[in-house]
This record gives sequence, C-alpha cells and structure tokens, in this order.
Amino acid sequence: MRRIFMIAGHEAECWLTHDGSRFVLNMPDGAVPCQLVPTGAPGAYVLRTGGRAHELRLAVGPESTFIHLNGSTFEVGRVNPDDRLAGREGTAGGDRLLAPMPGVVVSVAVKPGDAVTEGQPLLVIESMKLETTLTAPRDGVVAEMPFTAGDSFGLKAVLAQLTPQEE
Amino acid sequence: MTISKLLVANRGEIAARVVRTAKARGLATAVLRHVAEQEGPAHLIADEVVMIDGPTPVAAYLDIPQIVATAKKIDADAVHPGYGFLSENAGFVAALEEAGVTFVGPTSEVIDLMGDKVRARAFVEKRGFPVAPSAIEDDDPATFVERARTLGYPLLIKPSAGGGGKGMRIVREDSTLETEIETAHREGQRYFGDGRLFVERYIERPRHIEVQVMGDGQGNVVHFWERECSIQRRFQKIIEETPSPALSPEQRDEICETAAGIARAVNYRGAGTVEFIYAQDGAFYFLEMNTRLQVEHPVTEMVTGFDLVAEQLRIAAGEGLSAAQADIPQTGHSIELRICAEDATADFRPAIGDILLLDEPHGEGIRVDSGIRDSGKVTTDFDPMLSKLIVHGPDRAQAIARARNAVQNYVILGVTTNTGYLDAILAHPDFASGDVSTGFLAEQADVLTAPGEDVSTLLMAAAALSDQRLVTDVMQIPEMHRKMGGWRN
Repeated sequence: MRRIFMIAGHEAECWLTHDGSRFVLNMPDGAVPCQLVPTGAPGAYVLRTGGRAHELRLAVGPESTFIHLNGSTFEVGRVNPDDRLAGREGTAGGDRLLAPMPGVVVSVAVKPGDAVTEGQPLLVIESMKLETTLTAPRDGVVAEMPFTAGDSFGLKAVLAQLTPQEE
Repeated sequence: MTISKLLVANRGEIAARVVRTAKARGLATAVLRHVAEQEGPAHLIADEVVMIDGPTPVAAYLDIPQIVATAKKIDADAVHPGYGFLSENAGFVAALEEAGVTFVGPTSEVIDLMGDKVRARAFVEKRGFPVAPSAIEDDDPATFVERARTLGYPLLIKPSAGGGGKGMRIVREDSTLETEIETAHREGQRYFGDGRLFVERYIERPRHIEVQVMGDGQGNVVHFWERECSIQRRFQKIIEETPSPALSPEQRDEICETAAGIARAVNYRGAGTVEFIYAQDGAFYFLEMNTRLQVEHPVTEMVTGFDLVAEQLRIAAGEGLSAAQADIPQTGHSIELRICAEDATADFRPAIGDILLLDEPHGEGIRVDSGIRDSGKVTTDFDPMLSKLIVHGPDRAQAIARARNAVQNYVILGVTTNTGYLDAILAHPDFASGDVSTGFLAEQADVLTAPGEDVSTLLMAAAALSDQRLVTDVMQIPEMHRKMGGWRN
C-alpha cells in the first residue's frame, strides 16, 4: 500500500508491506523492517527498526501525524494522492483564494453571485496584528464566501471561491 | 482595606497563576470567559467564572465598563489585571477607583506618566538618572545640528512623530550628519506628515536588561534584582534569565539601585519593571518603566524565593512589603522559555490546531505556567504564547542543561510550536557564553532554523504504522501478494 507523506516541506513516498511475520517499509532507496509497539502511556510507542528501538510520542490528527522523537516534534502530513491531483486542477484556474496564514476575517466585501473584476477587494483579513486586503485573482463570479466577519480560519483555508471559468 | 474576593481581569496562563496565589492567601477568586474562548486552566481552578461579551474575545477583555460592572456585580473588592489587556490603562484604574474597587497595581497618575515615553524619559532625566544622550529639535531648532554633534557618534536620528522603526537613520560620521538630517526631515514629512526630529546616541549591539521593583506606595521600594531579556524575535522576548551574564556584582548593584531610585521618585506602589538599554561598554540607559507584573516574572521568583503576586496582593491590601532589601536573595540561576504556537521556520507565523496530546515536563527545578489543556484548541484569537517553561539550577550552565532537557521533553502534539527553536537557541555557543544582543536571533536566523539530523525514515515508519486503515489493508492482502511486496501493484 502506497503512502505519500509531507515532511518539512518535502514529499516522500513509501510503500508498506507485510512479509508474513513483520511490516516492511519500502522506499525508493531501500526497505526496512519496522514495528510500532505501544508502551502504555498516552500516545507512547517504541518504534523498532534497523536493529534500534526508538521511543516516541505520537498523535494522529485529521491531516497530519504529529511525532515527538529524540526531543524534537515533527509534523508528518499525510498526502492523499487523489486530493493532490484534484488540488492541482482546482487551483489551475485561480478559482480559490487560500489563506496565506491563520487569522480572523475583518470584513467581507462580496457575496455569492456577485460579478467581480481582477484586483477587486473580496475580503479583509487580520493576521499577526496586520490587516490584509485579499483581491480577486481574475474576472469572474463569486461562488462561495465561506467565512463572515469575526470568523477565524486556519492556514490554507479557502477564503473565497469563484465559479469555474468557462472554456 | 481588606480584600476577600479577587477578580482576575485576564486569561490564559497568567489568570491561572494569579488565581493560585490568591487562593493560597484565602481569597475567593473569579475569572472571565468569552463565549468564543476555550475553557482553560484558570476556568477550572477559579471559584467563579463570569461570561463576558464582545465582538471579539480581545475586545471583551478590553471593555472597561463591562469589567468594572462585573467586579461590582460579583462583589469583588479587588481586580488583578495580569499583564497586557488593561494592565497599564490609567482610565481603567480611574474607573475602578470611582467604583470603589481596589486595583492591584500603581495609581492612575503613575501609569499615566510612565505610559507617555517622552514625559517618562524627561522625568527620569530630570531626577538625575541615566538616559541615552539625546537632542530634541523642538527645544531649539537653530542649534539642533550643533547639539546633535556634541552627543558623539554613532547617532540615531528618529522622527519625533514616528514609530516602528520608520524613518530612523544611523549616522556614523560627522561629514554626513547634515545631509542625513535633511533626508530624515523629508522622510518624516512623507511618512508622518511631521518632519520634526530627535537624535540620540546609537547603542551598538545593545542588551536589554530590566529590574524588578516593588513599592508599598508609602515611600518604601525594594528591588528583586535584574532580568536579562536580550533574546527577542519581532521585538518580543522569548527567553529571559536571571542573573544577567553581562553584569559584574558592582554593575548589578548599580543598575538595580538605579531602578529602585526611579521607582522611589514616583512613590511607586505595587510591582513594576524598569527597563534599560545596556551597551557593550557597560553603560546603561533608562528605556521605559512597565507598571505591571511582567510575563517573565517567574525567573525572579525562582532565584529570590518570593511570590511576586503574593507581594502585589499584600500591598493592595495595605499590608506593605514583606521583606527589606537585605532579605531578598538572588540564589542560583533561572531561565524562562516562552512556548508559542508559531512556525519559527516561516517567519514566526502563528499556528493553530487542536492539542491532541499534551505532556508537560516536571521535576526538580522545573516550573510550567501553562494556559493550555489536553484536547484544547489553539486559535489566533489571542497571543500565540501557550505557556512558560521556567527552570532553576545552581548555576547558569546547569540551568541551561536543565532547560534543554525540559524543553526537549515538552510534548505538545497537534499544533506547531517553537520548542525545537528554543532548544536551538539554548544550544548555540554564543548563548552558552552569554555573548548576545537584542539582534542575536536575527543575526543567527540561519543557524537557529537549520534542519537537524534526517529522521524521515523513522517518521514515515511511525506515520505508516499508526495509520490504522493502512495497517488493516496491508494485513488483508493475500499471502502470495504480500510476499511479492515491493513496488509492483
């Protein structure tokens, strides 16, 4: 079974198999047998691989797995290959406005159905105590404005969506 | 006056910290909560939680009439403001005074004076305390260039109406002074519609050193020694320590006595902090006075053994200071790390998320003042600081070792935090030798955010094996196919 993970901004691909007695993690440059054993405390495991036992703490979030290992914390994004393809197509036409950072919506200037021109202000957000006006990436019609003033949003949240461009 | 019920007009870790001391002193306690706010540790331990309204949670905590009315409604006879929010708002203090509620802090007059940076600086200078040599154009425009020249180089030209570093110019040579002043005039006009300037001696690679003071409002002031706060990002401190590695015993006494003298000059009441710019040559200059408890006050508590909130409450109740100067020790070394939900590798962008797993360090010499709970949510409604990790050790080297060990074992999963970045600072040789300035984090940005050892194979294995669906699917593949393994599909 193939999996794509996002680690420190880089995609990494692997393939998990089981040889009848143990799991094997296959990567483009090699394969390692591995075993994850819970030790009792919440989220605490020992990862056995390559003849070594690594103690770690782990929590599975909706999109990422968070791992505390050797005194550092890592976020491992789980990339769904299907989403990745869809995402590429969806953003190609500049239909979605994604949040550049988490923040709060200060005001919303348009509503679904409104015709907008490139550069027209769609909404004002506040992040890190700075206000930023987000504008339409192209001429079009507003399909969706998912947030209202006062709402907070996360990184890469869809702040505005235009109806798909006609061919 | 006696105080029997305290309203804490703050939130997060500081609200919990104040409530703990108030309860230990036998007071009834109340805290505030906005509808959109997660239940935090303070809400669990306070006797009473009062809901407040506002268009945003921050607006509610800044709503003076609502908070004063809340204090009256629940019969609180005193309000502790914590830090931030209304803690240095003279109007809030005046409104409480009018309502007959005791403010745990200084008088509105002192807050007013120290809140105006130009007035505060003039006051301190007039009383003979050190301020950076400066010349103000408005005092006599005709002699401005001459007066600037006599200060000595390098100089820093600042627009009088300015802020945020805009329009500031450093002048290192006399030959360029006049043209730089002309340019600064034009820039001030352009940025602020006001070309007036002032010039002060520019301090190269300064340190930020501050002194904790406490006054009873009856003329008695003591200091609780200094804190070094030079480790700053975006002009905000993230690591503080005491004692400062920069000061000799004589300099320490001098800077601490200067701070106490400034507090005495305003007949200071309550806890305050006098901040200084400390130059590489050992000279120090008054920067400003913060008329409240500071975020970093725990390091002072660790080396002196005093509970500063207890002292504040004593003073507010008219019981005065609990100790004379000679009875306030400075024992061992303490370091505080501010644990923030932010991405140090992306310009400290605030992070949000759900806390999936929380395991805070504990043990000898370790204190955690935390504003978060397991399964809580981290939002951008408030400051990104989640908690403070404070350690104490017999000396600086042991305190650093203890801080590294503790921050490495601070497990917060579900939201990006700066624990790894803080550890990288502690591991830096310049930090270990104490050779830092307020520019340290910016100068060493590349070193401090460099990726560590590549553990991606371990991470992928752990992420794959903890994916229940993946594990189930893999186990269901018929034996024969399993043995084929590899990359064939």
